[in-house]
Amino acid sequence: MPKFLHTADWQMGRVFSRFDTDDGAALAEARYGAIERLAELATDQGCDAVLVAGDVFDAQMVSERTIRRVFNAMAGFSGPWVLLPGNHDAALVESVWTRAQRLSAVPANVLLALESGIIPLAEQGIAVLAAPLTQRHTYSDLTEAFDTMATPAGLIRVGLAHGSVQGILPDEVDATNPIAPDRVERANLDYLALGDWHGAKEVNERTWYSGTPEPERFRNNDAGYALIVEIAEPGARPEVTWHDTAKYRWHQWREQLSVASDLDALLKRLENLPETSVIDCRLEGTITLADDQRLTEALSVAEAKYRSVSCDRAGLQLEPTDEDIAALHADGYLGEAIKELRALQSGESQTEARDALGILARLLKARSSPGSAEQASAAAGYGTAAGGAGR
Amino acid sequence: MKLQRVRIEDLRQFRASLTLDNLQPGLNLVHGPNESGKSTLVRAIRAAFFERYRSSAVEDLRPWGDSGAAPTVEISFEHGQQQWQLTKQFLQRKRCDLQIGSDSFSGEEAEEKLADLLGYQFAKKGASKAEHWGIPGLLWVEQGTGQDIELAVGNASEHLQSALNNLVGEVASSGGDEVIQSVEQQRAELLTTTGKPRGDYVQLDRDRQQLETRLVELDERIERYQSLVDRLGILREAHNKAERERPWDGARDNLKLAETRFREIETLQQQQQRDHEALNSVHQRLELLMRSREQFDDQRRKLDQRQAVFQSAERALQQQQAQAPVLNGAVEDARKQYEAARQMVDKARLHDHRQRLQRDLTQLENDLRALEAGVAKATDYQTRLDQARQAKQQNLIDKAGVEQLQKTRRALEEETIRSESIATRLSWQLEPGKILQLNGKPVEGQGTERLLDDSTLAIPGIGTLGIMPGGEDLGRVRRQIERLEKDLQDQLAGLSVQSSVAAEKRLARYQDASIQVERLDELLKSVAPGGIDRLKSRQTEVNEELAERRKDWQAILEAGADEAPKTLAAAEADLAAAEQRLNDAEQAFRQHETGVLKTSHACESAKREWEELRAELNGPERQQQQDELDRDITEEQKRQQALETTMTQRKASIDEARPELLQQDMTRLKATIDQLEKAHNSRALEIHELCGRLEAWGAEGLEEQRNELAAELEHVNRRYNELHRRARALDLLLDLLQTRRQALTKRLQAPLQKHLDHYLSVLFPQARLEVNEQLIPGTFTRGNELGQVTELSFGAREQMGLISRLAYADLLQEAGRPTLVILDDTLVHSDSSRLVGMKRILFDASQRHQILLFTCHPDNWRDLGVEARDLEALKTKAATSAAPGQK
Repeated sequence: MPKFLHTADWQMGRVFSRFDTDDGAALAEARYGAIERLAELATDQGCDAVLVAGDVFDAQMVSERTIRRVFNAMAGFSGPWVLLPGNHDAALVESVWTRAQRLSAVPANVLLALESGIIPLAEQGIAVLAAPLTQRHTYSDLTEAFDTMATPAGLIRVGLAHGSVQGILPDEVDATNPIAPDRVERANLDYLALGDWHGAKEVNERTWYSGTPEPERFRNNDAGYALIVEIAEPGARPEVTWHDTAKYRWHQWREQLSVASDLDALLKRLENLPETSVIDCRLEGTITLADDQRLTEALSVAEAKYRSVSCDRAGLQLEPTDEDIAALHADGYLGEAIKELRALQSGESQTEARDALGILARLLKARSSPGSAEQASAAAGYGTAAGGAGR
Repeated sequence: MKLQRVRIEDLRQFRASLTLDNLQPGLNLVHGPNESGKSTLVRAIRAAFFERYRSSAVEDLRPWGDSGAAPTVEISFEHGQQQWQLTKQFLQRKRCDLQIGSDSFSGEEAEEKLADLLGYQFAKKGASKAEHWGIPGLLWVEQGTGQDIELAVGNASEHLQSALNNLVGEVASSGGDEVIQSVEQQRAELLTTTGKPRGDYVQLDRDRQQLETRLVELDERIERYQSLVDRLGILREAHNKAERERPWDGARDNLKLAETRFREIETLQQQQQRDHEALNSVHQRLELLMRSREQFDDQRRKLDQRQAVFQSAERALQQQQAQAPVLNGAVEDARKQYEAARQMVDKARLHDHRQRLQRDLTQLENDLRALEAGVAKATDYQTRLDQARQAKQQNLIDKAGVEQLQKTRRALEEETIRSESIATRLSWQLEPGKILQLNGKPVEGQGTERLLDDSTLAIPGIGTLGIMPGGEDLGRVRRQIERLEKDLQDQLAGLSVQSSVAAEKRLARYQDASIQVERLDELLKSVAPGGIDRLKSRQTEVNEELAERRKDWQAILEAGADEAPKTLAAAEADLAAAEQRLNDAEQAFRQHETGVLKTSHACESAKREWEELRAELNGPERQQQQDELDRDITEEQKRQQALETTMTQRKASIDEARPELLQQDMTRLKATIDQLEKAHNSRALEIHELCGRLEAWGAEGLEEQRNELAAELEHVNRRYNELHRRARALDLLLDLLQTRRQALTKRLQAPLQKHLDHYLSVLFPQARLEVNEQLIPGTFTRGNELGQVTELSFGAREQMGLISRLAYADLLQEAGRPTLVILDDTLVHSDSSRLVGMKRILFDASQRHQILLFTCHPDNWRDLGVEARDLEALKTKAATSAAPGQK
């Protein structure tokens, strides 16, 4: 009763440029952890083999250290690993694979499917039909070869491929590396283990994308899982189970703020995330100076708590209220300046106006902080008069 | 605020109390000489307001050497319809009391009230300094500081601002300047004053560019690496394909085929070559044979030629021979003509001879006649010569004797004459027929006679007359005559002549004969130079010749050649012509004969040659040769044809095989094999080399590096953009704030400017003084003159300073602030005309403000229209009034 773990798109060697250096390093590091977890999972679940459906490496020219670490991370599972080259690590004449082989970094139980063909795992009862990518770009369906591949009787036929199943995935997905949706029928496969789509996805009952085991982008598409597939015998319906393998979960929020309660809700959500979160937040709408301050403080707290927090407030207009202005003791022309900047936020120099307003507000706040209370109160006296004059 | 009274005591030189009272609400002039205490008074007023009563930093107020003194200042003034009374005591008895209307304050509270009222601050500790003085610092001008307005305005600015705010009804924003300054500072961290990035901002930009460059480099390397991988893929595929297919083997088989075929063709070509050589020799042989045949033909032609030559020679000979008689006849004719001409010449010559002979005869006859005549003449001349010689002989006389004789005779005659002169002269004239005899000699007719001697004249019929010559010399003459006569006789004798006449005659004859002889001799010689005999022999000879000639002549006459047809010359010419003709004819004949001879020889030899050749050619041997030759030729021609046919066929098959193409095929195939193998090898080499390079490059982990670099760039970019945004925001903010502030300042400046203009127009009607943002007089304009106040002369600056202060005072008053103007010895640097203007200004200002003017030049201020208070007088008064007070 063959049972194997289906995973893909490890993208080892990826650098996370959008994050601060230490965050990026932690996220990259987590991917090695993911391999270890996969090995552990496979061992725990008693899998016969681990099939990796492409894009083990993010690039051909990764460092030697990366290569070695990837293979080292597989040590937790002693059964056969079948690694398929994907579009990022295609089996070119000179590739990350040839380098790995040269480095003697590939353990004996790790099988590299560098050529189209059958990898028979007789002991495990599995015949892996591999369709590795051997070009940087492929426009033909490499799995077509499966149709004519004969496998030893008694072994389940498991296809291993990397590409886009036609007509299933969103349009924007690259049309290269096409895979026919009915390949399973045509090639009489028991299961087709696919990679390239980073979320776990069922194409049909015998065709699955496993997605990447550790998320590496914000797009919410069920990343961070591995699939364990069990097939009783050739022709039997595969039993597919999902297993969470992610360390970090990535959250991307696009929020519109208009009233104070919007911010309250947002801040609440922000508070109640697990610490292994990566948050990308973009805010639009309007906010008072006081709320802006509140937001800043909350973000500061969140930054300390979570793996990474980034918040784009460029689309957020500051709307200082009279209370804000009064609180800032912005009398005379300072008050007028604040009003003008507020107005400018909806013009051409929106960002600058917003930033300028922020700077001014901070300056005024610093002035009105307890250290200069006397000054502030003196200013307040005039401020009342100025308020009248300003309008 | 109006000061009413000031009293001081125990203060510097004023040990006793000094009171300055009865102060007017307008202008108050206090004068006194230097060191009379004007400045002390001013200091006292300042101390009363500015110095904390508790301050220990007011030691200067202490009278000299009095450690126990308590300097006291008392000031009464009116403000806000209330009476204010300030009493301040320093040092020993520190005290401050302030009475406002009915309220009393003391100590610091009193001091704060004052500061609030006048707009100044107290020093936190120590003596009060200019920065604390505020409004009074501006309006109370110390000696020699009237021109320094900036600092004073600066110190008063806060109070001024607030006064202005009240006035304009606006707020200059509390801390607005501070905010601006902060913004400027923050901006300065990012941008230079000219708006260029600086510090981290510019460094980030640089880093960014550097990273970008590095990224581009890495990208290029990666691209290069990838292209090398592609290249390797292509190469490896090609290599494997070549290994599988071994295309060079196929090429090699084809080469072998081509070579075999080519060798066959080569054999054919060799045969062809051989045949070609054989054909060549056939050609050569044929050529030789043909040449022989031609030679035979030539000979045959030659025979014909020779026959023709012979025949023509024969014909020529016959022709020549036919010409012979004609030529011979011509010779005969010429000879005849020649003979005739010769005879004619003979005749002419004979004729000529006869004529010559005739001429000779005539000549001879003439000669003979001439000779005969000559002989006759010569004979005659001989005869006559002989006669002349004879005559000469006969008349031979000595010529000298004759001459002597003549001399003697002449001497005699002269003596005779003389005698005659002395002689008696007897003349006569006789009748015809009558004769007389003198001395016996008849005398007739007429004549004269001299008589020397006694003479007798006989007259016939009559008798004789004797005449006796008288005279003395008669005797000597007579003797002389006698001697001469004797000589004469002797000489005559000697000469054998009778008389001298005879002698002379004889001499004449002799001379005549001599001449005859000579002449005749000459003549003779001319006729017969050789003498008569020779002439005669010649005559004989001629005679004989003549005879001879006559004989000849006779002979000729007989010959009868009396007439000739032609002259000799013509005849001779004819002869010569005839001879020439004869010669020619003979010559022609001879030539003809030679020609004939030659022709006949030629004819003979031609005949011989012809015959010889004919004999040779028509011989049987030759015929045989000819036959053989014909046979050979036919044979060779046949062979040639056979060869040519074979060769043509073979050439066709060679051409058909295209050996050059075969050769090209071989070259091509060889090159192909070479190239294929070489390509294969070089590909293998390149694969090896590429593998090496890719391994090396791959080991660098370029893409990972690149991604890390990209991440770094993104970080830098993000940071840069943050700073960029911040810089732009700060720019915007600063610009906004400054614009606002300037607009506000402009509004605030207006009232001050109004007052400033008011005063300035008194001094300079056309001038303008503008206040800057800090409300300090800045730009001064007067006509074309434009500049800062600080650039003006000291005097002018002082004037501007005072004008400005008065303007501030007006401003403050409008804002309901107290104003008191104290001027300590001001305007000392102004000239009289400016001073006049300033006095008008001061007077004008004193209508609104109380002004205390201290001076040591009271004359300068005499026309201010106020009473000048003499400090010295005050002191005296104080002393006198104090005395009763103390009592």
